Amino acid sequence: MRFRTETRISLRHLSSRPFQTVAAAAVLALSSALAVILFLLTQGLRDGLIRAAEPFDLIVGAKGSPYQLVLNTVMLMDVPIGNIKWSGYAALSGDVRADFSVPLAFGDSYRGYPVVGVGDGILRIRRGASERKWLEIAEGRWFGDEFEAVLGARAAAESKLRIGDSFRTSHGVVLEDEHEALFKVVGIAARVFGPYDRAIFVNIGSIWKNHAHGDNNHSDGEDNEVTAVLVRPASYPDAYSLAVSFQSDAEKQLVFPAQTASRLFSLVSGGERFMSVIVYSVAVCSIFTTLLVLYWSNRDRRREKALLGALGASRGALAAISWLEGTFTLAIGALAGEALGRTGAYAAFRFLGGSTAIDISVPMTFKEATVPAVMFMAGSLGAFVMALAEKTGDAASLKRM
Amino acid sequence: MTAQLPPFLEVRQLRHCYSQPDGSRVEALSLDHMSAVGGEAIALVGPSGSGKTTFLHILAALIRPTHGEVLFGGRDIFAPRQAGAHWRAMSVGYIFQDMNLLPDFSAIENLLLAAEISNVSGPAATERANSLLRRLDLWNQRGRRPADLSLGEQQRAAVARAVIHFPSVILADEPTASLDAENAGIVMNILTELCAESRTLLIVATHDEAIKKRFARVLQLQRPRAAENPEPVLPEKAV
Ligand SMILES: Nc1ncnc2c1ncn2[C@@H]1O[C@H](COP(=O)(O)OP(=O)(O)OP(=O)(O)O)[C@@H](O)[C@H]1O
Ligand SMILES: [Mg+2]
Repeated sequence: MRFRTETRISLRHLSSRPFQTVAAAAVLALSSALAVILFLLTQGLRDGLIRAAEPFDLIVGAKGSPYQLVLNTVMLMDVPIGNIKWSGYAALSGDVRADFSVPLAFGDSYRGYPVVGVGDGILRIRRGASERKWLEIAEGRWFGDEFEAVLGARAAAESKLRIGDSFRTSHGVVLEDEHEALFKVVGIAARVFGPYDRAIFVNIGSIWKNHAHGDNNHSDGEDNEVTAVLVRPASYPDAYSLAVSFQSDAEKQLVFPAQTASRLFSLVSGGERFMSVIVYSVAVCSIFTTLLVLYWSNRDRRREKALLGALGASRGALAAISWLEGTFTLAIGALAGEALGRTGAYAAFRFLGGSTAIDISVPMTFKEATVPAVMFMAGSLGAFVMALAEKTGDAASLKRM
Repeated sequence: MTAQLPPFLEVRQLRHCYSQPDGSRVEALSLDHMSAVGGEAIALVGPSGSGKTTFLHILAALIRPTHGEVLFGGRDIFAPRQAGAHWRAMSVGYIFQDMNLLPDFSAIENLLLAAEISNVSGPAATERANSLLRRLDLWNQRGRRPADLSLGEQQRAAVARAVIHFPSVILADEPTASLDAENAGIVMNILTELCAESRTLLIVATHDEAIKKRFARVLQLQRPRAAENPEPVLPEKAV
């Protein structure tokens, strides 16, 4: 008897009882889909957070919660932490340990889109270790004058502002008191795939002027404040040296945003370990359930197996048939689970996409496929053990025929 | 068959005891000697519980006797230990009272699958299956699954399946018990015909006097002593 024959017999057994097969596969499919969705959501969220933090090596801001500083600066969320003095920025930009630094000022908005006052240095930021620029102009030009604005890609798409349009900003995120000055849109940025897609970039000087309300003293620089400073360290040792020197600073703090973001992620998600525990508990339960279903459908086949045995199928061949039936069922379940999970995750991300600040997307790494794959292999191993333990082809079941 | 050659099939000092769940043992079969040659047809008779089914199971190597040996062409069918399945696949055709066919396969698939298990495949197997189906008047039913065949058709298909790989021995356990007299006659005719043609040894266990009369040779089994003991009243098994 060739393996091909055993494969054909088991496939026929499965196709002759489609309901049983689908039911057994569905148990695995649904639970592995759940596991895949959880996995993808967690991974997508973490990747989104890390991607958002990626362009920023170090952030210096007012002393307080490092999470709040990262939420402000990286996610453009939460109320801004206090400001720091211009001199703080000046000191950093003069520091040899900093390649360059970029001042940021938050607090204003246009119809919910955060207006971010930035220094020109923001155009020098690169994406992680790559040579690619983080922020690039897709349309128009970068602002030159004060009261010119560049729209983030999403801000441009959603606000319906065009190049050449003018708008007035307001203080805070709700429409309270509008500022006097009119900003003119001169450019639209390419997508950065992060919270800054919702930002409106203006020259940091415009923010100061806008807040000064004619008080000329504010525009000369010395008294002005910045919310945060993005620092590109000259080297890794320099980054740590900077971090150490800020430890004793009474007014300012330095954070590593990527680190803080992933710690923040652990805080809100309960950590991936917690997720894994849920995912794997679900997986283990469903493997047992599937094996139980397989066990019963194998029991149903005892007469047929006994008959095959009487025709001369060896014990090994009969075990192979049982194992193949289980393995095919599990394979269908695992594949359906992966497909269902990915589809579910796409749907979930689509649903969430509009409402979250960070850009989350279904990762293309297929790491989550390890969950159904492991479930499949564990189940197949279980089916193998069951097939070996099965009493088939014995004369006792023949007698009842 | 010359005198120097060992008999085709030979059984020596055969005893079989089943172990009961309570640990006691039931002697189910006792047969001191039997030998038969290819082409012979033997009716296996005896009262219920005399061990007919047990004997056929042993001949098919489905169970190993507690004592004694079964020789085929002078060689023990149970040696080596794993030889049973191979013996069945290559040399035995087994026919049950009913439920002979695999329910998920059509009549012709049942035949071809049995051939495949016996390592007969390809055009030769298809050719043989087709000719058997025609001869057994199953040609128009060949694509149907057992559930869609009458009992008589099912048993004819079982006969075809049992002979498809040209076995040396055909063992039939009350093959006509669930058929009416007419169908029983048809099935027995075909079975004896096919076996005579290919010089196959045919052993048919039966209760039916009419069927018993068809056979020149009758092997009578007696209920072993232990089973006759009145003290442990064993519930009679329906077979
Ligand atoms: N698996 C088993 N376990 C225990 N005892 C068994 C088993 N199979 C058969 N027996 C016993 O062995 C004896 C012989 O049984 P067997 O089925 O071989 O008889 P039989 O001649 O085929 O009877 P019938 O004519 O009713 O089919 C009976 O007493 C039966 O109860
Ligand atoms: Mg019997």
